Amino acid sequence: MKNIFKILIFLPVASFLIISCTEGLKLEPVSQISVGSYWKTENDANGVLYGMYSRFRNTTANRFFWGELRSNDFGPSVGGEPIEHGPLYRNTLNASSPLPTWLTMYTVIHDANLILKYVPGITFASEDNKNSILAQAYAMRAYCYFVMVRTWGGVPLVVEPTEGYSEKSQRERATVEEVFTLIKKDIQDAITLFPNNNYPNGRFVWSKPAANALKADIYLWTGKRLGGGNADFTAALNALNDIETSDITLLPTFSRVFDYDNKGNKEILFAVRYMDQESGECGPYDQSFIHPQAMPGSNQLDDSTKIVLSGGRGYTYLQVQPHIRSSFSWMDQRRNASFKEIYTYVPIYPSGEKTYYTAIQVKFDGTFVSGQRYWYDDYIIYRYGDVLLMKAEAKNALGQDPTEDINKLRQRAYGDYFPQFAFVNGTKEENDAAILKEWMLEKIFEGRYWWDLLRFGKAFELVPSLQDKVGQNHLLLFPIVQATLSIEPKVVQNPGY
Amino acid sequence: MPGSSPRIIIRGGTSINNPDGAAPLYIVDGVIRTNINNIDQSDIESIQVLKDAAATSIYGARASNGVVIIETKSGQSGKTQINYKYDFTISNNVEKYDFLDARNYIYFQRLGIYRSATWGNKPAQLAMLTGPTSAGTGNDLTNRTAYSVQYLSTENQYKLNEGWETMPDPLDSTKTIIFSNFDFQDVTYRTGITQNHTITASGGTDRATFSAGLGYMNSDGIVITTFYRRLTGHLNGEVKLNERLSFFGRVLYKNSHDNNPSAESTFGRSQGLPPTAKYKFEDGTYAPGQSSSLANNEYYLNTRVDKRIEDDLTMVAGAQLKILPGLTFDPQVSWWQTTIDSRNFQKAFWNGPTSYVVTRNASGAYSKYLQKQADAVFTYSKAFLNAHNLEAKLGFSYFDGYSTSLSASGRDAATDLIPTLNAAATPVSVSGAESEQVIYGYFGRINYNYKQKYLLSVNARYDGASNLGDNFKWGFFPGISVGWNLHKERFWSMLPENLLKLKLRGSYGVNGNISGLGAYTAQGTYAVGGRYGGFAVIQNTVMANNELQWEQSNTLDFGLDLGVFNNRINLMFDVYRRVTDNLLASMALPHSTGFSSTLTNLGSLENMGVEIEINASILPVTSELQWDASFNISTVSNKILKLPYNGVERNRIGGVEVWDEKARAYVWKGGLQEGGTMGDYYTYKYLGVYATDEEAANAPIDDLTPIADKKCYGGDINLADLDGDGRITTKDQVYAGNIYPDLTGGISSSLMYKNFSLFIRTDFTVGQTIFNYMRGSLIGQFQGDNGLSTELLRSWRKQGDVTDIPQFVYADQQVRNKIYRANGGNTFIYERGDFLAVREITLSYDLPKNLLQKVKISGLRINVTGNNLHYFTKFTGLNPEFGGRDYGRYPIPRNIIFGLNMTL
Repeated sequence: MKNIFKILIFLPVASFLIISCTEGLKLEPVSQISVGSYWKTENDANGVLYGMYSRFRNTTANRFFWGELRSNDFGPSVGGEPIEHGPLYRNTLNASSPLPTWLTMYTVIHDANLILKYVPGITFASEDNKNSILAQAYAMRAYCYFVMVRTWGGVPLVVEPTEGYSEKSQRERATVEEVFTLIKKDIQDAITLFPNNNYPNGRFVWSKPAANALKADIYLWTGKRLGGGNADFTAALNALNDIETSDITLLPTFSRVFDYDNKGNKEILFAVRYMDQESGECGPYDQSFIHPQAMPGSNQLDDSTKIVLSGGRGYTYLQVQPHIRSSFSWMDQRRNASFKEIYTYVPIYPSGEKTYYTAIQVKFDGTFVSGQRYWYDDYIIYRYGDVLLMKAEAKNALGQDPTEDINKLRQRAYGDYFPQFAFVNGTKEENDAAILKEWMLEKIFEGRYWWDLLRFGKAFELVPSLQDKVGQNHLLLFPIVQATLSIEPKVVQNPGY
Repeated sequence: MPGSSPRIIIRGGTSINNPDGAAPLYIVDGVIRTNINNIDQSDIESIQVLKDAAATSIYGARASNGVVIIETKSGQSGKTQINYKYDFTISNNVEKYDFLDARNYIYFQRLGIYRSATWGNKPAQLAMLTGPTSAGTGNDLTNRTAYSVQYLSTENQYKLNEGWETMPDPLDSTKTIIFSNFDFQDVTYRTGITQNHTITASGGTDRATFSAGLGYMNSDGIVITTFYRRLTGHLNGEVKLNERLSFFGRVLYKNSHDNNPSAESTFGRSQGLPPTAKYKFEDGTYAPGQSSSLANNEYYLNTRVDKRIEDDLTMVAGAQLKILPGLTFDPQVSWWQTTIDSRNFQKAFWNGPTSYVVTRNASGAYSKYLQKQADAVFTYSKAFLNAHNLEAKLGFSYFDGYSTSLSASGRDAATDLIPTLNAAATPVSVSGAESEQVIYGYFGRINYNYKQKYLLSVNARYDGASNLGDNFKWGFFPGISVGWNLHKERFWSMLPENLLKLKLRGSYGVNGNISGLGAYTAQGTYAVGGRYGGFAVIQNTVMANNELQWEQSNTLDFGLDLGVFNNRINLMFDVYRRVTDNLLASMALPHSTGFSSTLTNLGSLENMGVEIEINASILPVTSELQWDASFNISTVSNKILKLPYNGVERNRIGGVEVWDEKARAYVWKGGLQEGGTMGDYYTYKYLGVYATDEEAANAPIDDLTPIADKKCYGGDINLADLDGDGRITTKDQVYAGNIYPDLTGGISSSLMYKNFSLFIRTDFTVGQTIFNYMRGSLIGQFQGDNGLSTELLRSWRKQGDVTDIPQFVYADQQVRNKIYRANGGNTFIYERGDFLAVREITLSYDLPKNLLQKVKISGLRINVTGNNLHYFTKFTGLNPEFGGRDYGRYPIPRNIIFGLNMTL
């Protein structure tokens, strides 16, 4: 009896311990947001919007690899040839080259897809704000696919956010035409949704004028590469004319467009924002400088070079190539604003023998933090210079006179010397050659020269490292790297690789 | 590193992503811990390792990698004993790289740069020969160049009187180079000294016992500026209130303070600062080396502060109540808290000779982990009819782990004098985080035996964890084991008494594991913290997966215990097969999803193995000389049974497509695939070095050569063109071994004669292959300016040379890329990592009791121990012990320990 009593005392103790408590196992995170609790308010939409830009910023160096480096405007410098650079400027790519995959681009597309899926269901204080966010997501998705379709041709089309893995996550590549159908639809949706033609503060996000520039870029490409012809050129020209009504101008001094202390100036339509304490440095530009270890002795340099080379950081990997340097006239103010040839005086300046050392880009020369140079330059996506060049290109394609647009750029570039460099309308082919050269003089190092060469169909002609590879047309696209093929079995390699 | 604990992996672990990370579950005095870093060895009373699933399944969740149960010392009733222990340890690094001296370095580096520039048509690179580089002649005697190499002149010839040397320029013998020679490993390492004091008092009466102890350790690491200081204490007590009720409490405390700068730059690279670098400038100040990642460690490490203070407090309170005869109730609650305070500071410093950095980055971090645990167990045991013995347990367990952290960083302090954040003029970042995990468990066990002849144990556990998917929080983990003591059978008496004892065992059990799963991973993450244009950003970084469930391993184990000659020889034999299902692992996703991977229940993995342990007392008990020896060996192999469907053949993840000679076709190998094993290496096959250009004339074209000329020449490595298509492509790779060992084990032996004893312990590992990246880097100069290997002394230099080391060329990966190969190397740098380590030799002497009694000491033992004395191995790197991929590591020191153990 006594024992039973004792057991009865312990039963409540035991039952206290043995309560089924699945509820107690449902913990909400404190320092992060779970997927299920997101997408309720306007703040959620804004957070992911800027998150999308931040991840777009992470793709800058890759886009520079895809859009510029293969033009061979750069070659190896004193610091040698990093294995990720060589195959690009030498145009010796194959599937095992250490190339960036398309993962980072699809991450940005995922963000855009999230916005496009969830933002329509959120109530905003202002419908304009909501439309602006949706418009930016459409423009971003269009731009990302536009980068990829020019890099690899057709790519898998993903228009829904990835919210779980299933067999459907394995996709085949769409055709180039299918990709462009989506791009054109997206960019049109973007332009329609933007509530006005203004630039948001700082010009580091998509706006209606920037979307119009992208539209023109897309239609010029399909007009030339996919047989879109005059209809596409007209669409491009109309988009460009819409930009003219926005708050945009050509800065009087070329070099000021790129200065760190002049970010978001009135020549910019859209540039990716880089900032100290917020981002890393603007990917490619620190690679074309002089590493402290490769720095010639300071008594071997003239004063102007010493100033350019101050700052104690950077790498000596990318050297501006001779054919680029010789294309610039000394009367062109874009020359000194784009690159600098470094000479040493051995054994001592000024009496020593003047010897060429290397040539570096100076268009983007960063800023100083605690006495050290950091390349926190914005990475330009579109500026007014692009608009004028695209206009000239569209007009010429349509048989119209491109003189006015080209000369606006040349007047600024040559200043007092302009008369001897004034553009004179010639045949369509002559004009095209002049326009492509102007693209190079105006836009070199801004991340798109390779695509310009492709659009004009002049890559094998004008890229030194491709001149002995005429006929190997597969080289115009990138290979799909092993890393991608091994986990995306439905993706087929580009022919020729 | 001073103060870090050993890596323990039981039966190969169950992780598919990181088998080396499959740490067992540690239970110290009933408190679950993820590591035993903070336990003072001298506080440990006993260690028990549970491997078979029937034994571990009562620990249910988290036990699938095995369980290590540690009891710390507690008092015994009787006279109070005071024990004092002292160790004095001398540690030395015996693992240094054989670097070329400065003269040979300059010779090879200059020729290598010249070849690289000419073969690759990169004239710009020739500037390195005349620039202020490690073998360039652009250096001078000022503080503006890091290296000593320069042409001999009237201004610098006086340095010859100060030990500098000269040599002809290997590229132009009419010129003379002057240089200094210094091995920077010598100033990176020093003799480490460790002193360790422990004092313990224990004792008690029939009603109460106690044990209290204090320990202090002061260790200066073998790398300059590193140290580790530790204070430990424990207090255990147990009181019997009456025959039925007793209480106990335990407190375990540790405080440590250390300085450990970032390992990678120090050991992977900086110790390889070329011998031509200046150690001191002309004005007597330290030269900084090339940069902070290739630094003169004596300068650079002294400009950093990397302070870490760790507190670790465990408190346990419990009781035992005898409710009825045979029925007891054991409740226990515990609280374990660790806090880590750290701060880092980089003084103003020369990052290389031309760049004076005054950013003065400073950071501080504080993190706390707090674990509350409550367990309550009812136990009932009863013997019936002198034959049936029964014990039953029923219990409940509650576990709550809570982490929180704060950190901040700043820069631009005006002074080096204040290393803390208050001096920073510019705030850079702040961060904080909090997370919690709760696990409930119910468990029960019934042990039954019939006259100790037939043994049966059935147990089960039901666990629920907060971090699993909503519908999969609970898991059920049963286990059963049977045993048969044959020597208790009547028929056994046919054998002579005590000749042979034999027990047969069998068990089957299910365990769980969620060790790789973050607290909220299943719910997906929108992460915060970044900015774009000043706006706060939010990014969907982790996909939600509400289907995440317990990883389950099912283990079948058969074993036998054999005792011969009155147990003078004992043998334990086990064979097991473990199948782990629903592996929690990171799965690579198609890149077009926008995610690189997601955590998922990934498939099934099989581990099979055999374990044998033999202990023997070789000499009879009566012998004055006693000799015990033991030997153990275990094998483990793994096989992937199932992977999630991904449309690829055998649902392969990763891997390489290579030529398969047997199949005469291209086949995907390596990576993870069904039917395959983990950890296979595939790489290019090294056949030797071409002796002459003629021999190389018909060599295949090498697609992986980045320069325009993809042909081979004399002095190049001859790589096999396996598919015979006349080109070396990524498809020309072969199996190059496996990263995991096949066999591990150890041999130990102890000899006792009168008051002397000698103990020897060795261990061995067989079958692992190590990717010796460092070897490749030191003959291929991947880094650009790094010390070079003495292996180059036998490298190919002229037509007709027959050797295994190719002609040296600067930055191999930028030229013909024969060694680097996209960081995969070739078979030349994949080496067998077999070794036998002489882990410990201890000689100890107990002073005679009669002598000690005169000074009122009841026991005094002195010993001398050698630790990590020698490795028998053919591995050419520094140390085979870590296996895997060797990118440079913290060396394992050789220790000589003098110890004293005195009991009053």
